Amino acid sequence: MALGRRNKRNRQFVPPKLQLTSMMDMFTIILIFLLVSFSDKPETMNLEKNLELPVSDAKLDYNDNIKLVLSRDSLYLGDERIAGIQDGKIEGLNPTRLEDSVLYKELMAYHKEEIDGDPKADKEVSILFLCDKRLSFKTVNSIIKTAGMAGYPNFQFGVLKK
Amino acid sequence: MSILRKQRKANREEDDPDMVPVMNLFLVLIPFLLMSASFYHLKAINTSVPVLSQQSEDMEEEAKKEIKLTVIVEIKEKQIDVSALSGEVGVELLKGLERTIDRKGSDEQTMKALSDCLEKIKSGFPASDTVIIIPEEDVVYETIIQTMDVARYYNESPLFPKVVLSGKVG
Repeated sequence: MALGRRNKRNRQFVPPKLQLTSMMDMFTIILIFLLVSFSDKPETMNLEKNLELPVSDAKLDYNDNIKLVLSRDSLYLGDERIAGIQDGKIEGLNPTRLEDSVLYKELMAYHKEEIDGDPKADKEVSILFLCDKRLSFKTVNSIIKTAGMAGYPNFQFGVLKK
Repeated sequence: MSILRKQRKANREEDDPDMVPVMNLFLVLIPFLLMSASFYHLKAINTSVPVLSQQSEDMEEEAKKEIKLTVIVEIKEKQIDVSALSGEVGVELLKGLERTIDRKGSDEQTMKALSDCLEKIKSGFPASDTVIIIPEEDVVYETIIQTMDVARYYNESPLFPKVVLSGKVG
């Protein structure tokens, strides 16, 4: 009995060893995944939930220009919703009187403020246009026509890299 | 026997590499990579809408040097019509460049046929760099982007990098 107690006392405390192998495996997988998706210019743009961009071979980076987003149910200028869309028709946009639309007025106001007011401003500024791939050309055309009339004939169509 | 077992155990313990510094490194790397990770890659295609403009004298001089065609791609519901415009080439020659591509097959087949057709025009008139895409009203945006891709490059070499998107007039 006494011998057993002494043995117990003499047994050195061995700190428990952490099993790091599985954790290492997990971290290695995460690290590889993150390395693959590494970008020197991470996207900071918030895309709408119901906006499906088309996929393209394009390799050109977009510029931080005026952003025009056309989803299936809304039209945004920058982050501001300026019109709704129903059955492919933009609310408040009459195809025969495009200059009465909110989009035209907003773009004209921006043109006056930012481009006409600043002599150093780039006169050939283009619009970054993000459009849902399921929308018809009829809807797209009314928007690009309005922007063209407001003094923005150049566009950058935002697409997802293949 | 037990001494041998103890020795073997001791040896095994010594063989285990110390993973803690590696784990520390991973813990530093992961937040950094998470911050700079991009889960979608947004790219852009430059395009423009037609505008009224006056041709400058410089442009006229340049135009005289080499024959430039403007290729027109009309996307219709059942077909794609390809034609060309130029003030420097005869009507007969331009007529010979006209093609119609059926859209009965898959999108891939149609785009391949369109790509081959555009490449032929480009090889005949290498100075040409502009394509006007005219879709019908019901054509979806995705098809327009596919057509733009095909018109801009053929196997990585540029075809008609200047893309103009226009609605049908008249």
